[in-house]
Amino acid sequence: MLSIRLAWRNLWRNKRRTLITLLALAVNTAVLITTFALMDGYIENAVRYATDLLTGEAQIHANEYLEDHSLYKTIDNPDEIIAKAKSHGINASPRVYGFGLLSVGNKSAGVMFEGVNPELDKQAFTLHEHLQGDGRFVSNKADKGMVLGKKLAKTLNVKIGSEIIAVVQAADGSLGTDIYTVSGILKTAGEKLDRSTAICHIDDFRELFVMENAVHEIALNSFRGVELEEIKPLLGTTIDGLEFKTWRQLNPSLSQMVDMSHVGMGIFATIFFIVAGLGVMNTMLMATYDRIREFGILKAIGTSPMAIIRDILVEAMMMSVIAICIGFVLGLATSYYLSIHGIDMSGVGGDVTFAGIAFDPIWKAVIHPASFIEPMAMMCVISVLASIYPAVIAARLKPVEAMNHV
Amino acid sequence: MDKIININNVIKDYGQGDVIVHALRGITLSLECGEFTSMAGPSGSGKSTLLNIIGGLDKPTTGSVEVDGRDVVSMSMAQLSHLRRNRIGFIFQNYSLIPVLTAYENAEYILVLQGVSAKKRNERIMDILKEVGLDGMENRFPRELSGGQQQRVAIARAIAPEPALVLADEPTANVDSKTGGALMDLMRKLNEEKGITFLLSTHEKIVMERARRLFVLKDGLIEFDGSPKEGINIA
Repeated sequence: MLSIRLAWRNLWRNKRRTLITLLALAVNTAVLITTFALMDGYIENAVRYATDLLTGEAQIHANEYLEDHSLYKTIDNPDEIIAKAKSHGINASPRVYGFGLLSVGNKSAGVMFEGVNPELDKQAFTLHEHLQGDGRFVSNKADKGMVLGKKLAKTLNVKIGSEIIAVVQAADGSLGTDIYTVSGILKTAGEKLDRSTAICHIDDFRELFVMENAVHEIALNSFRGVELEEIKPLLGTTIDGLEFKTWRQLNPSLSQMVDMSHVGMGIFATIFFIVAGLGVMNTMLMATYDRIREFGILKAIGTSPMAIIRDILVEAMMMSVIAICIGFVLGLATSYYLSIHGIDMSGVGGDVTFAGIAFDPIWKAVIHPASFIEPMAMMCVISVLASIYPAVIAARLKPVEAMNHV
Repeated sequence: MDKIININNVIKDYGQGDVIVHALRGITLSLECGEFTSMAGPSGSGKSTLLNIIGGLDKPTTGSVEVDGRDVVSMSMAQLSHLRRNRIGFIFQNYSLIPVLTAYENAEYILVLQGVSAKKRNERIMDILKEVGLDGMENRFPRELSGGQQQRVAIARAIAPEPALVLADEPTANVDSKTGGALMDLMRKLNEEKGITFLLSTHEKIVMERARRLFVLKDGLIEFDGSPKEGINIA
C-alpha cells in the first residue's frame, strides 16, 4: 500500500506534466479503440456486402464452369445439395447464367442473364432489398419480370415498367427471344452487376435458353452462422466431382484487402504504441531525473534496486491505467456514436466499391470486446515496458553521487 | 565487547591520471557495540568519505572494512542494500526525507521493505515518533515541519528498523544550537536505552561534548582518538 501511495503522490508532483502525458495516452487509446472499431466495421461491411448481397459465403459449380461459363456445364444434383445445405442451416440459392442481348428501341446492350429462384434467393441473400425506388424483385412466380443493373438501365434508358426485348442463343442452338418487363432497378451493387446483369425468374430463363432443370451455380450463405471452413465438409459427398469455392477464392482481391486491413491496422497500432511508449518514457525519465536525490536517499537507507524499479513501474502503471480508463470512455463513446450514425462516405467519391463489390456508403463502427481489450492491454504493457529504462537508470544510481546531485 | 566497526588501513583516492585527491590516507579504527562516538575535523578532512565507506555507500581504494562482522568491501550491491536496510541507520545533514511521504510513512518505509507486518509497524512507529517528540505530528509532510522536527523524523527513520549502528553525517548542521543540543540529547538517550551504536561526523562543539569518544581527522588521517574533553581543542 505504501508503494501505491508513494506512486500516486509522486504522479501528482508535477501536475501539468502528468496531465499532458495522461491526455496524450488517453487520446491515443481512444483513437486506437475508435480506429479498431471502424476498421472492424469496414471489414465486416466489406465481407457482409461481398457475401450477403449476391456472392454468398461459398459457391458450387460444375467442374471448370468458371473458366468458360459454358451453358452446358451444369450441376446434376442441385436439389440434393440444396437439401443437404438446408439440413445444416445453410441457405442455398440455385442460379443459371447465359449471355445475350437486351434491346429497347434503338438501344441495345450485351448482358449476362441470371435466372434465380426468388424464394430461395430471398432466404439466402439481400439483393432483393437492394432496389431503387418502388421497384420490386423478381416475382416468386415466373411472370417475365426482370431486374436490371443500375448502369444497364441507364444505357438502355429504361425505367420500371418498361418493356425490353431479350435475344439469346439458346442451348439447343436456336434463337431465343422474348419480351420482359422491368420490375426493378438495382442500386449500385458492383461494376459487373451494375453494367451487365439482368436478373429474371429461373423458369423464365430456362424457357428463354431452352434448358429444362439446368443449374449452373448454387450459392450458399449462412449469414456467418457456419464457419467458412466447415461448409464444404458439411456438404459431404453431395458435391463430389463439383467445384467448391469460398468467397475468398471467388474474390481474391477482396480477400486480400481484408487481410491487408489487418496488417495495416497492425502497422498503424504499432506506430501509435511507439509514440505512446516514447511519451511515457519521456515523462518517466523526467520524473526520474527530478528525483535523483530521493532515489539516492532511498538507496542509502537500504532500498534494493528491485524495489526502486517496482516503485517506478507502479507509478507508470498507475498513470497508464488512469489514461486507459479515460481513453476507454472516450473511445467507447465515439465508437458507439459511429456505430449508430457512421461516416457518410457518399459525399467523398460517390458510390463506394472495391474489387467489384459495392459497399454501404455509411461507414459504421462495430463494437467488439477485442476492439477495446487489445489496444487497452497493449497500451498498458507498452507504458510499463517504456518505464523499464528510466526505472533501471534509477535503480543503478550510486547513492553518494545521487544524493549530491543538484 | 564485540566490535561493530573494524577498519584496517583504509585508503581512498579520488580522480584519475595526474589529478588524484587522497581523501583517506590509511585509516585504522574500531568501534565497539554501544559506543557514542563523534568524528570531527575540518571540511575536506575525509569525514563524509569515511562514513560513506563504513555505510557501504562507497568503496575504499584499498584496506578492509568490517561492519557488524561483515566485510563490506567485497559485498554486492544487493548485499549492501540488505545490510543497510537491516543493520545500519543513516541520518543526513539536510534531513533527506521523502517529501511526498508523511512523518509516519517516512519512518515506516524501511519497515515495509523489511516485511514487518502492518500491525507491528504501526506499534513501533507510533512508539518511536513519541520517543523522538513527534507525537501527534505523524500525518504531517516534511514541508509542514521545522528543521528540527524534520531531523527528528530522520532519526525516527534511522532507528525504526532497530539497527545495530547509526551513522549521522553532521546531524545538527542545519538547526540552531538549542535544537542541535536537543537532538544530541535525543540520540544519546537512544544510545543509552536501546544500545544502538552512534557514529556522528561534526564540526560542532555541542556534538563533540556529548560524545563519549571523539576522534579527529585531518588530511585523511586520524590525528586524535580519545576523550572529547581532551580532543575538543584539537578539533
